[in-house]
Amino acid sequence: MLNDSELISTVEMLKYEHLDVRTVTLGINLFDCASHDLEIFKANLRKKITRLAGNLVETCNAIGDKYGIEVVNKRISISPIGVVAAPFNADQMVEIAKTLNDIAVEVGVDFIGGFSALVEKGMANGDRALIEAIPEALTQTDRICASVNVGSTRAGINMDAVLLMAKAIKRGAELTSDKDGLAAAKLCVFCNIPQDVPFMAGAYLGTGEADAVINVGVSGPGVVKRAIDRAIEAKPDLGLGDIAEIIKRTACKVTRVGELIGREVADTLDIPFGVVDLSLAPTPTVGDSVGEIFQSLGLISIGAPGSTAALAMLNDAVKKGGAFASSHVGGLSGAFIPVSEDLNIEEACRNGFLNIEKLEAMTCVCSVGLDMVAIPGNTSEETLAGIIADEMAIGMINNKTTACRLIPVPGKGAGDYAHFGGLLGHATIIDVKNCQGENSFVRHGGRIPAPIHSLKN
Amino acid sequence: MSKIIITAIGKDRPGIVSSVAGVLYQLGCNIENVSQTILQSEFAGIYIVSTPEGTDFETFSEQFHGTFDEKGLHVHIEPMALEDTQEPSGEHFIITTIGPDSRGLVYDISTVIAEAGVNIINLKAVFEGGDNPERNIMVYEVLVPDTVDRHILSGTLKEKATSLNLALTFQHKNIFDTVNRI
Repeated sequence: MLNDSELISTVEMLKYEHLDVRTVTLGINLFDCASHDLEIFKANLRKKITRLAGNLVETCNAIGDKYGIEVVNKRISISPIGVVAAPFNADQMVEIAKTLNDIAVEVGVDFIGGFSALVEKGMANGDRALIEAIPEALTQTDRICASVNVGSTRAGINMDAVLLMAKAIKRGAELTSDKDGLAAAKLCVFCNIPQDVPFMAGAYLGTGEADAVINVGVSGPGVVKRAIDRAIEAKPDLGLGDIAEIIKRTACKVTRVGELIGREVADTLDIPFGVVDLSLAPTPTVGDSVGEIFQSLGLISIGAPGSTAALAMLNDAVKKGGAFASSHVGGLSGAFIPVSEDLNIEEACRNGFLNIEKLEAMTCVCSVGLDMVAIPGNTSEETLAGIIADEMAIGMINNKTTACRLIPVPGKGAGDYAHFGGLLGHATIIDVKNCQGENSFVRHGGRIPAPIHSLKN
Repeated sequence: MSKIIITAIGKDRPGIVSSVAGVLYQLGCNIENVSQTILQSEFAGIYIVSTPEGTDFETFSEQFHGTFDEKGLHVHIEPMALEDTQEPSGEHFIITTIGPDSRGLVYDISTVIAEAGVNIINLKAVFEGGDNPERNIMVYEVLVPDTVDRHILSGTLKEKATSLNLALTFQHKNIFDTVNRI
């Protein structure tokens, strides 16, 4: 029999500290669905995805019930549509997005991610068509997520693509102005995109993966916060090294839960298990916040001086704990700081502790980037491109993944309130320097070259 | 006769296990399995013992009681039936109830478990801090046969728990092992 503290701590994690399996994401390779004929292609998509995903939701629910831990979201990631559907034009890409949306409804998943293109070094016809299609595709669908990789440490940053993405973000936001620009909340721009992320909106299935794979995203910022609180309560003079150790051990336990669930789903569906992505991904629920961890660590608020150091420690400890727990850790794995999805982070923005510059600094040490940041609707394309380029540069130089999920909220300005709903939460719009201004730097276009340390051979 | 079961219950003190084991050794027996627990100041131990070839139960029982210095222990001996050694097919789950202690709580929950044809194989009470009566925890490790509908059992348990003002969890044991064991 387990000892008392083991029993209690496990029950508390699952029942009171918001530990959940945030997503089980079925990755499906679509290269064998390729066709030059749109109707054949759409039929192939439907046939393959419904065959593989038909029992996904039911299986996740049954296994979640068995272990008393909710699988909150069941999702699908697919091969990048910009590649698989390369023969098609933008209008046809929108049709494909709508078909994927119908399939998502049919199999009961929350999202399908992978309406994606990889353009870090240049854009092919299919990539251009996809990028052009993104605003309409994300407006006319509810369950499709898009991502475009515009930079990498090996290739540099494709500034032409950055500018196109700024345009796409603005356009998508405008088309969904009645929902505060919701389309932009389903679109990520990446540098060094991982090919096995189970979280949305950045999930897609990269090349080199199996025909189908189960990836798991497990989260639990509340569990980490409570572990820190208990430790400091027991010993107020605890050093940061010891606190990092506690975070690491907690992350290990959380990852083990995710792997248990993921492997059992994979075994039941007879699909290979891929990775566990241990990311502290908050939700707009009290007690499920990354921002609150900063307060537990002694900061008045996330964003106060010391926050970048705290986040560096947190992100690193989470990765170490996850790496010990499983030999198949992947995706983003670390700590997210999505503004609208975390009540505490949103409050920090509202109270002036966090601005876009501080957020950008913190993205140097977190596992994602500028995530779910609401900015003024009249932010110019060039300024938006500049913000994206800055974030991409952090990723490129530091050989890490960075991303932007920015929402220019139509008709609203700094200090106004944007509401996206559900897990996407709500946010105060934060100020952007040179908001409506020009930016000749980004207009140069071309490619920022890869850094010297990319020459690793 | 192949095996016997010896149950010893009484005031805990040093030397109980060695005295039982000593007598069994003298009588030529082998302890095949043993489980013991101490609850506050009370000892309880169960021994599954194989006896020498040709020993009959009555003779053994007489010899044991004659040799063992019981010193306040209650000792019960009985033969073990062959089917007792076979565990039914099923999976181990952990049920916890969390909330204020009340008279009949264990009876109510264990009756639901029994009526479903499920066996409780381990039971312990965990009190998380004496000044928080809301957080008394009972832990039941149960073996749920494959023939039992777990969803119906879970629903009935949760209904009963709600009526007793308790929170209840019902989870496969693997998750506890996975989280706490490397």
